[in-house]
Amino acid sequence: MGDLIDKLIFLGIAAGSLLVIALLHVAYLTYAERKIIGRMQQRLGPNRVGPRGLLQPIADMVKLLTKEDLVPYGVDKPVFYIAPFISLVCAGTGVALIPIWKKFVLSNINVGILFILALSSLSAYGVILSGWASNSRYALLGGLRASAQVISYEIAMSLALLSVVLMAGSLNLMDIVKAQINSPYKIYLIPQIIAFYVFIISAIAECNRVPFDLPEAETELVAGYFVEYSAMRFAIFYLAEYFGMVVMSALAVTCFLGGWIGPFEIPYIPFFWFLIKLYIILFIYIWVRATLPRYRYDQLMGLGWKVLIPVAIINLFLTAVLKLIF
Amino acid sequence: MNWDLIIFYYLAIVMIFSSVFAIFSRHPVYTVLLVLVMIIHQAFLLLTLGAEFLTVVQIIVYAGAILVLFLFVVYLINLRKETKKSVFIRTVSLIGIVFLLLGGLLIKNLLILLSLKPSFKAYLPFTIEEKSNVWWIANYLFKNYLLQFEIIGVVLLVAILGAVFLIRKVKIVEQK
Repeated sequence: MGDLIDKLIFLGIAAGSLLVIALLHVAYLTYAERKIIGRMQQRLGPNRVGPRGLLQPIADMVKLLTKEDLVPYGVDKPVFYIAPFISLVCAGTGVALIPIWKKFVLSNINVGILFILALSSLSAYGVILSGWASNSRYALLGGLRASAQVISYEIAMSLALLSVVLMAGSLNLMDIVKAQINSPYKIYLIPQIIAFYVFIISAIAECNRVPFDLPEAETELVAGYFVEYSAMRFAIFYLAEYFGMVVMSALAVTCFLGGWIGPFEIPYIPFFWFLIKLYIILFIYIWVRATLPRYRYDQLMGLGWKVLIPVAIINLFLTAVLKLIF
Repeated sequence: MNWDLIIFYYLAIVMIFSSVFAIFSRHPVYTVLLVLVMIIHQAFLLLTLGAEFLTVVQIIVYAGAILVLFLFVVYLINLRKETKKSVFIRTVSLIGIVFLLLGGLLIKNLLILLSLKPSFKAYLPFTIEEKSNVWWIANYLFKNYLLQFEIIGVVLLVAILGAVFLIRKVKIVEQK
């Protein structure tokens, strides 16, 4: 009994600190995004709140928390209330499974990679339900688009990850990183470059980011599935989207870029290289957003089903054959 | 008090109630959501038996794919008027007969269960901890049941081809 309580307290502290760190990352990701896109579009970005605008995310948070919580007439209340939380929980739980360092992973389960895929498939519910419960045309269309998009791109993403699983011979994320470190190239980016491309593209689509942000296309659907949400409920959707970005980037770092391994050891900061790689992938997300225009809906579906899935299947087949030969 | 027992009873009670409410709910979206709750609890019931792979597959396949498709269909049909209709009185008697039969079966099964000695440990023919869960399932599936596995694969392929055939664009050529 005492053991169990000790264990629970330790887990609580570890989970709490991980959550706080992840939330800080999410908050400053929004700041970094605005700043980088500002630079790319020859603007300054936020620069009024605090030195160089560094307190902007906190100001935004305070603003959203103190705003009025509007619930429009005719919504399906229970579903309307619960939908943002489904999105947030499904997006945020993935952080617990990522091995940040060889001695730190909050929950080291044997089917970690499948668990993240399961969570990302459940996160479709938040989007679909919010679109349905809002009782609004724009939200309904956004929800429809989002569900079709998430289901389609999930297949390509799973197939890309499967070839990594096949190379590592394990579904445990920790074992995948260790297998990478023991492999001749140290990282799977080089032998699995095709899977990496497929994964990154479908991860962008899975998080509903530009150029695949059709569910929330401002110019057509106002804001898509969360158009009727305001104040903190809107912020929760926003948080879920950025949490999704962080988890997908961390998964890319774990499965393709070798996790915590680096060219040399940094003393006292064992997860230094993990964070550097994570920031590079997040920068790619923002870079893509600032560079590319939005896809048309049929182009999006065509890319998913006619290009990414066949490419991923061929890559999986080649990986299996090469693994049999060597 | 045993923690396993508490978790088991929690999962079992939630599963029973969510299934019953799913049947009685007049609202199709709520029905889908209650079935979702049931499926997730069922997945965690598998987890208490140490079958983590089955847990995740249950969530991915049932909750992530099949129920999303159900929701997709329900979503597109506007049933807001239907949900406000009063109860059909004529069908009540029919439902009553079905319930009596089912209730009888349930009580009979419960009596059989009560006469047995309760053991909440699952029967495991081998120690799962030696190899991972995934290894055991793959071992059984691809050694003992390979033919059945292949047959199911072909059946699913036929179903997919049938679906594609049904939704193909039909070009009507006018005969002159």
